[in-house]
Amino acid sequence: MTTPPIVELYGVTKSFGAFTVLNDIDLKIADGEILTLLGPSGCGKTTLMRIVAGFEQSTHGRVLLRGVDVSNQPPERRPVNMVFQRYALFPHLDVFDNVAFGLRLKKKSKSEIKKTVTHMLELVQLGEYANRWITELSGGQAQRVALARALVNEPSVLLLDEPLAALDLKIRHHMLAELKRIHVETGTTFIYVTHDQDEATILSDRIVLMNKGAIEQIGTPEEMYARPQSLFCAKFLGETNILSGSVISAEGDTTYVDIGAGAAKVAMNGVPVGSQVSLAVRPEAIRLDKVREVAGKENFNFVDGVIQDVVFMGSRVVYNIRTPINLIKYQETRPVHGISLERGDEVRASWAADAAVLLTH
Amino acid sequence: MAADAVDRKKIVGAALAAPTFLFLLVFFLIPTGLLFVYSFWLAKSFALIPALSLDNYTRALSSWGFYALTLSGLKNGFWTAAFSVVLSFPAAYYIVYRTRGNLLFYIILVSWFSSYLVRIYAWRVILGSNGLINTTLIQLGLISQPLEILLFSPFATILTLVHIMLPFTLLLLVSSLRDVKAEYIEAAKDLGASQFEVFRKVILPMSYKGLVGAFMFTFVLAAGDYVTPQFLGGRDGMTTGIMISNQFRSSGNWPFGAAMAFLLLATFLVVYFLFVQLLNLLKLAPGRRFHD
Repeated sequence: MTTPPIVELYGVTKSFGAFTVLNDIDLKIADGEILTLLGPSGCGKTTLMRIVAGFEQSTHGRVLLRGVDVSNQPPERRPVNMVFQRYALFPHLDVFDNVAFGLRLKKKSKSEIKKTVTHMLELVQLGEYANRWITELSGGQAQRVALARALVNEPSVLLLDEPLAALDLKIRHHMLAELKRIHVETGTTFIYVTHDQDEATILSDRIVLMNKGAIEQIGTPEEMYARPQSLFCAKFLGETNILSGSVISAEGDTTYVDIGAGAAKVAMNGVPVGSQVSLAVRPEAIRLDKVREVAGKENFNFVDGVIQDVVFMGSRVVYNIRTPINLIKYQETRPVHGISLERGDEVRASWAADAAVLLTH
Repeated sequence: MAADAVDRKKIVGAALAAPTFLFLLVFFLIPTGLLFVYSFWLAKSFALIPALSLDNYTRALSSWGFYALTLSGLKNGFWTAAFSVVLSFPAAYYIVYRTRGNLLFYIILVSWFSSYLVRIYAWRVILGSNGLINTTLIQLGLISQPLEILLFSPFATILTLVHIMLPFTLLLLVSSLRDVKAEYIEAAKDLGASQFEVFRKVILPMSYKGLVGAFMFTFVLAAGDYVTPQFLGGRDGMTTGIMISNQFRSSGNWPFGAAMAFLLLATFLVVYFLFVQLLNLLKLAPGRRFHD
């Protein structure tokens, strides 16, 4: 470990009466990283962020910022700032005064405020907008002002509560790139809350996947995508084919699973024979061949079916294949010389033993 | 096609506004216009004489009594509005930010369901020589004679007017505070504002219109009221409102009454202007820049 964690959560629990929103959360966040709290609505991610901000008090547990216990400090005393989902920009103030709000409360000198606010507006590329009223801004511009208003206070941690949810898709992708640039320029730690797995994978150094008030898995976006540890994680991040079955035997590093359409070989071990398991195979890890061309060549890891439809999505093509056990999705980059498979073709979907992930829950 | 749609929208909009507009035209604007014309007429033993004379205005403006009565009405208005707003604001804050239901709100509004006159008489009973307050104080041995000042004084008028106006002020303040969503308050706290700074820099400016509206409505209604001061104000409680109503109801001098009514209207406009200027001076009005 090079630097000590900037945020530490120990046993953070939040209940409303008998209802537990957060259950015993432990989490350490490194200085300067972008960490995303990802999960479906109601998983507790927003509550967890609000506990870090100080808007909610945890029922049990401690929150440390730069090693200092802030569990009992009100939000105005904590060195963190937040970008609200609907921005919450003050409509009675113009862009400059919104950004200057925090600095004025800290009684900074007029010239310093002018300098800092101007610099910050330039950072978010709104240098020309200082005199605009909030109602005169587009969604993307309001987003930038909200970002500037928070960052100008040089917080230890910047909290972003689904900041792009109100923007349309094109601007959202542009703002993600902007957030990354601003993160690089300021070096501030970002905690980012979202239910959108695309935002999470594009932006994050690490993702904390949450479900029902608990942490499901923590890892880099690629780890989470390639090595999900649970069915929930496999399904939540990206698309995946789930094949259920039971373990029939295990030899060394290989486990054999009966998936109802023959046996599948998985490069994993440690699961007892007879266990009910799921195999997760990503659509792009599937290989598709016409059945008559490959018949009799393989013994494992395939299922035959008929192409139900072909979905053209621009740079990629998705095939839905009806098989006796499940609907299988196969995805490939658009073939430059045209799509050769079509609806009704009898095909064999196969995959490598190390492309499938064995999940026990 | 598109132009037709725009025309249709305009027609529908006009049709929706028409009933209200017609009502106000027939029952407010036209009578007010007539009254304005009357204010230049003259009256002689209950008969109105058409004229174009400023006599009524000069008569009012040259009498010290008119100024004294106007001042006393304005005082009633000012204190009523001030107490109503100051008392309603914390209640409105509590209702909007601290409670989920509207129970308290409805309880306060229920007092409106009883008649205006009944409440005036109720206060007479409470404040009178043999009333609740005096008998209690005498029985406690705190005073030997009943306090005459309680009833038939500006105090009684203002107390009653506050009681009557409070639900109204509260209604206006609650609806304007509802626009100051909790997230604005959280944003201010997040940026380091103390409870007082949140109030001063966010809640007040954002509820500014409601605040000015609540104060001015209460002010105008209370300052122009002629029933409460008549029943509870005593000799010192006389106001221009009472004098205007006397001109119409007993003296039969409509032109003089009309002229005083327009002078009172002008006074209210001046007060409104001064009030808004004061708030600007205190940097409370929104839409101001705090930087060069």
